[in-house]
Amino acid sequence: MNRVVSRHWIFLGLFVLVALTMGSGIRLDTPVSDRTAELYNFIESLPEGSMLLVSFDHEASSLPEIRPIGQALLRHAFRKNHRLIGMALLAEGTAIGYRLMQQAAAEYGKEYGKDYAYLGFKPQYIAAILSMGESIPATFPEDYLGRPYESLEVLDGVATYADVAAVLSIADGSLTTHWMEYGRARYGVRIVSGVTAAMVTTYDPYLASGQMHAMMGGLRGAAEYEDLIACPGGGKRGMLAQTATHLYVIVLIGLGNLSYFLARRKKEKR
Amino acid sequence: MNRRVALVICFGFGVVMFAQYFSKHPLARGVNQAVLEYWQIIFAFALLLGVVSFFQNNIKQIGHGSDRPYRTVSLVGLLAMPVAAVIGGIGAGSPFLWIFENVQAPMQSTVFALLAFFVASASFRGFRARSVPAAILLGAAILILLSRSAIGGPLSGWLPDTADWIRHHPSMAARRAILIGIGLGSLTTSLRVIVGIERTWLGGKK
Repeated sequence: MNRVVSRHWIFLGLFVLVALTMGSGIRLDTPVSDRTAELYNFIESLPEGSMLLVSFDHEASSLPEIRPIGQALLRHAFRKNHRLIGMALLAEGTAIGYRLMQQAAAEYGKEYGKDYAYLGFKPQYIAAILSMGESIPATFPEDYLGRPYESLEVLDGVATYADVAAVLSIADGSLTTHWMEYGRARYGVRIVSGVTAAMVTTYDPYLASGQMHAMMGGLRGAAEYEDLIACPGGGKRGMLAQTATHLYVIVLIGLGNLSYFLARRKKEKR
Repeated sequence: MNRRVALVICFGFGVVMFAQYFSKHPLARGVNQAVLEYWQIIFAFALLLGVVSFFQNNIKQIGHGSDRPYRTVSLVGLLAMPVAAVIGGIGAGSPFLWIFENVQAPMQSTVFALLAFFVASASFRGFRARSVPAAILLGAAILILLSRSAIGGPLSGWLPDTADWIRHHPSMAARRAILIGIGLGSLTTSLRVIVGIERTWLGGKK
């Protein structure tokens, strides 16, 4: 019974903390890490009009963390006048990616078909990645809305990864690994990514070995990126809640251990 | 006999796909593209099979009266999305996209967000420094938690540096060892399947 009661208080405390911090509107300063700066510099260094393939490799469940990451990267790419091709390796990422691209494009006055296109979802991610290495138009004969590939001006002359400056994988799982294992290793395309915080350590070895070119991680990464492009969004907004929640968890760990050691000492005395 | 045919097909495809990887000849590239297209078609049929199986199973369970309201909602959702997509399209402003953005995405995010509550509860009740390794794990977890929040840097300069050191050395070493192990395991298993030593995929009998 006590356990249930303590759990309910913990849940209530977390709910109140998140509600208050999200509602406060306070935006914390987040010093930009080298990793995030590397990704920013990479996109910044590409010649204007470079072609970027943005793959939305995530599900709807991670949206609160993925949306700020995707928004920041798309805003930067559109601001630099790069041409973008969107796609998804997970069915749920398809509609989210389409919407994100559409919203970011509207902010910078970009036109569908001329400045960007959205190819949609292709089942079986390994086959899709390999198949695009042979021929992107053969893999996606039509875009997300059913228009023929050849009818889209932005896709003129885009046949394989050789015509793409980099693949930008926005992921909440291990799908970016497949981009590196098949896209990078087989066809030599550069891979950059924006991933959830939980996946950062998974990709650290690939980043250190150079198999991944650059990476931005989690809400913190999104907040840093928003600072770099001077365009505050969901990352900055969520940092206070994330920081408060982390502190809350640390306090709970401390209290839990305190009660554990007190109980142990009491037992030993007996 | 049937098993032998399957083994020969498996061996043939294994050898051809392995060999084509190293060739830039148009024939090799054509074979690769054709096999990849078939792979996607097979996967699409597998998805269809999943949908049919889900539908049949739920209809059967509704008939038995188990979890009737939940299963009905599942089936309505399963039917509503493709119907909405066919009637109203999938572009901006379509009912399909509206349902996805306003029903499915918030529901999934909500379920995922529940994890935070369980983590908070577990951190209080389960994350104890019962031994030296547990205490080290606990210390590393606290350092990483602080470094990923906005106060890590301002609190102390060495905090993010120490957290980065943990990530880039002990954590990465362990992860690399696991990745190399997985790679070697995949390689040997693939070889065993191609040459016919590993036959459990045929049904388990030798």
